[in-house]
Amino acid sequence: MPSSLALTPGLGSFLKCLKTNPIDTSIETLISLLKRRQIRHSRSCATATAYLLRSVISACRTTDSAKLIERVQSVGRRLMAAQPREMVVGNIVRRVLGLIRDEAEDDRDAEFALSEIGSESQPQTPRAYDDPALPLDRDSPSIRPDDRSSRPPLTSMFSLLSHPEPENSLPSTPGSSSPNGRLPGHGPSKDVRAEVLEGIGEIIDELGQVDDQIAAYALDHIHSNEIILTHTSSTTVQKFLLKAATKRKFTVIHAESYPNNHEATHATVSGSASDDDNLGLEAFQKPLIEHGITVILIPDSAVFAIMSRVNKVILGTHSVLANGGLVAAAGTRVIARAAKVHQTPVVVVSGVYKLSPVYPFDFDSLIEYGDPSKVLPYEEGDLVDLVDVQNPIYDYVPAELVDLYITNIGGHAPSYLYRIVSDHYRKEDISF
Amino acid sequence: MAPKQKAGQKPKPNSAEEVEETFQAVVLADTFETRFEPFTRDKPRCLLPLANTPLIEYTLEFLANAGVEEVFLYGGAHSDQLEKYINASKWRALSSPFKQLTFLKSTSTSVGDVMRDLDGKHLITGDFIVVSGDVISNLPIEGALAQHRARRALDKNAIMTMVLREAGLQHRTKSTSVSPIFVIDPTKDRCLHYEEIDRHPDDEQSSRLNIDAEIILKHPELDIRQDLIDCSIDICTPDVLSLWSDSFDYQSPRKHYLFGVLKDYELNGKTLHTYIIKDHYAARVRNLKAYDAVSKDILSRWTYPLCPDTNLLPGHTYTLRKGSMYQETGVTLARSCVIGRRTVIGKGTSIGDRAEVHNSVLGRNCKIGRNVKLDGAYIWDDVVIGDNSDVRGAIIADGVVLGKHCTIASGALISYGVKIADNIWVESGKRITKTRNDGSVGKNDPAVVGEGGEGYEFIHGEEEEDDEDDVSVASSGLVYRMPGLSLSSASISTLSSEVSNTSWARSERSSFSADEDSDNFHHDASVSLFDSLREGVAADVVQLELVTLRMSANASDNQVRRAIVTSFMKHIQQLMEGGKGAGPAVLSVFTAYKEVVERTLFDRNKEQKKDQVDLLLALQNDLIHRNKGETVLLFTAKSLYELELIEEEAYDQWWNDERSSSTEEMRAVRSQTQQFVDWLAEAEEESSEEESEEESDDE
Repeated sequence: MPSSLALTPGLGSFLKCLKTNPIDTSIETLISLLKRRQIRHSRSCATATAYLLRSVISACRTTDSAKLIERVQSVGRRLMAAQPREMVVGNIVRRVLGLIRDEAEDDRDAEFALSEIGSESQPQTPRAYDDPALPLDRDSPSIRPDDRSSRPPLTSMFSLLSHPEPENSLPSTPGSSSPNGRLPGHGPSKDVRAEVLEGIGEIIDELGQVDDQIAAYALDHIHSNEIILTHTSSTTVQKFLLKAATKRKFTVIHAESYPNNHEATHATVSGSASDDDNLGLEAFQKPLIEHGITVILIPDSAVFAIMSRVNKVILGTHSVLANGGLVAAAGTRVIARAAKVHQTPVVVVSGVYKLSPVYPFDFDSLIEYGDPSKVLPYEEGDLVDLVDVQNPIYDYVPAELVDLYITNIGGHAPSYLYRIVSDHYRKEDISF
Repeated sequence: MAPKQKAGQKPKPNSAEEVEETFQAVVLADTFETRFEPFTRDKPRCLLPLANTPLIEYTLEFLANAGVEEVFLYGGAHSDQLEKYINASKWRALSSPFKQLTFLKSTSTSVGDVMRDLDGKHLITGDFIVVSGDVISNLPIEGALAQHRARRALDKNAIMTMVLREAGLQHRTKSTSVSPIFVIDPTKDRCLHYEEIDRHPDDEQSSRLNIDAEIILKHPELDIRQDLIDCSIDICTPDVLSLWSDSFDYQSPRKHYLFGVLKDYELNGKTLHTYIIKDHYAARVRNLKAYDAVSKDILSRWTYPLCPDTNLLPGHTYTLRKGSMYQETGVTLARSCVIGRRTVIGKGTSIGDRAEVHNSVLGRNCKIGRNVKLDGAYIWDDVVIGDNSDVRGAIIADGVVLGKHCTIASGALISYGVKIADNIWVESGKRITKTRNDGSVGKNDPAVVGEGGEGYEFIHGEEEEDDEDDVSVASSGLVYRMPGLSLSSASISTLSSEVSNTSWARSERSSFSADEDSDNFHHDASVSLFDSLREGVAADVVQLELVTLRMSANASDNQVRRAIVTSFMKHIQQLMEGGKGAGPAVLSVFTAYKEVVERTLFDRNKEQKKDQVDLLLALQNDLIHRNKGETVLLFTAKSLYELELIEEEAYDQWWNDERSSSTEEMRAVRSQTQQFVDWLAEAEEESSEEESEEESDDE
């Protein structure tokens, strides 16, 4: 059996092939995996993209940051074209681009600082030669205070108060301040590439830890004897609830999210571990019921009826958009709408990597339609012929239906998301 | 052709290397059928676009999904085009999910030949999967594969697992004419019996299934299922190939192979199994009706993720809009045009004012004029449709130019490059093409395409048309009205004319289809024999081919003899035209192929020489229409006698048979042979003088 499981390509096989195959092959492989939906779920996509970009950059034998940016952009464009609805792919690409730009600018600053000091001896002449390309990029952001690279200007009042280190101020790893190369006294000898690779390594670490970081906020939001309603088998939500379950007793009402996710949901609720996700780490998790939590599985249609008893709705998501709206599993909008009617708070848990700078001008295009046979069995020959069946996989939930976002860097109101977007993505990368 | 000794060898190495074997697949790019004529005259069938993506892409995508590592692709007709396409495609690139993609050319004329060829090449090392080049499926194969392997570990004789899709009794992707019946032992998933039943809505009584009583007695539980879509995805062990080799007359993988192997279970002890899937999509584009149905399925996303917006081909940029509308970037739509649900529009296509498009697929760079109405139309690339035209349920191939005010009725097929003038009404089910069977451009027929148009009406197989299909097609839906294409039980290979799909004749078959079989057989056999003779193929090969043909069509000995006579005489005629004398020509042909003739005569030791007489009668009949028929008949009679193929008594009986002198022509043609018969009679020293006198009176 294990041999046949390894047969179907997926994230695991991709990561394996990344080590052995030349980089162009890996890019093509990821593109076809994305197209074929063999890598799906935001996290898998993000992880695959991050690993791929790491290989791309380490294979790119240049220290010229402009060339690096160009290369990453071209790869990123292809990946995004392959699966435009997996927005995390674009997010990761943008973050890597931002990393390169930061490093390049830091480098320049450092050189500038050095030259000011007087040490004209440039050990890395090629970079000095390359730099003229950069001011072009710098022109546009220079209007905006450069919030990431330069500490002194006070970028935002919010971040001043709550997040002194906007980027990667991970609660679990508070000590790891962002790339060291930032320090002006560091010296120009450090390679841009190495710095960027390090930064991508941090992104990958972040992807690995994000659920635990989000879960760290659980106790602030879930209180004893609450009735929580949730949806889908999202591991982020599960970990969040599990964390709270270690200290508190509450009740979970789980909508089964038929037809696209009900099997996984049932498995999550009953604890018959699903190993479909990457790495199989989740398989070690004990289900909520083993922590003495009452979990009630309800059909999606009962959501409205039960909403009056619910204290809080906690939702996972597929991706979060810049306006605070979210694209999440089908059925989410119904739940959010019902919660609105009952004035029940809706909390969305999501890693920052899911936060996309894309503004949803056309929601319809963000919604993916899946296989209708999950709604209507294909055997029903007569009906299949006569009826148009649609099975949307995602729902668009407008920002006004969401009360709070909890990301790995804390809790935010939907209206505040734009701030996090500008913290994480460079303006020039938003539409590359 | 049939290396039989391998049957014993193969399983052993296989069991040894079970640990790490590459998963191989064989793609039959050509299924040796003519269901897609006239399009297949210009392009191989698997490159025909389905929702603007070539068919083969879906199949390779399926294999990539299944985690196949090595692919063997068998090309058939137009294999050069296919090879070119594959070499340029992403499957050949470094990033291809396949470690190896081998393109195999063969001169095969049937699936059976391909399998035997494959067996001879020793390429298959372990379990492999056989699909035809027109499978569309999003099924992850591992379930079936795991089951197959588990079963095989227990029982070496479980050689094949067929993947079948459960579907209702009526389903658009199912064939309406022939329905496969599987008799399955549900406890072991073993297929016990297989039969294909011709379904004619009009005469119900012809649908009958013959099950061996033993099967019913032996198995406490039986499923007899007609609701399965056979998507011809088979997981096989190498033993399957050796079985193909052992039975050189098997042609089609189901009707012959499956039927035959199941029937001979006592003999070979091999068991075949089924894996019935209830979810996921699997279908074959076996004919144009299926083309229509599968296109609809793709547009309604049943095949997800194999949908247009997945952009399987590198250059594609389809996006999905609400209502199953797929559009590439760079589509020009007039403000007042109406684009309805379930439409696909390729790059560079422009649609004029007030045009209406529903349920249609439009390729790239098409120009749709004003006020055009398209419904259920499949329009490939670079098509121009003039203003006020109306196309419903038709397929229009690349580069067609349609004039103004034209009406294309449902089921019409317009092949590559045809030009149709203004104000033409193309009837339902009509097929218009430009290319002849041999690739040359045919003569234009103004009656069909109008003045200034290009193309002529295509007649299926350029021979007798099967009217029977029209009857069964009548209860049609969209592209149903394509006689011979959607349903044909008689379909002729695109490569050589050879029957690959005529039904396994059975007692309950209705008479007209039997007739049609025989006609087909006669035509095919004589053509292929004639070709062999002309190329000077060895006698045993000719013999083998003939047997194969005979078995597949279940032709009678009489038909075989007729076919032999026709082809031989045609060849002799040709030799004579080439300057050879009648005598030497006849003698050389019959000496070389003595064996072939001999194998059709079974009455050597009998009193009544029926077969020999039959042969002579056939000869006589054939020579009526031929130049110098009398002379040839004389020499043939003489050679046959000298070669001891036909005995004196037979000549005697033939001469006296009233059929040999029934008409004026018959008598005329045999006049010269008189002297030979006389000589025979004398040489025999038998008193047949009176009779020969009677004969001369007759004349």
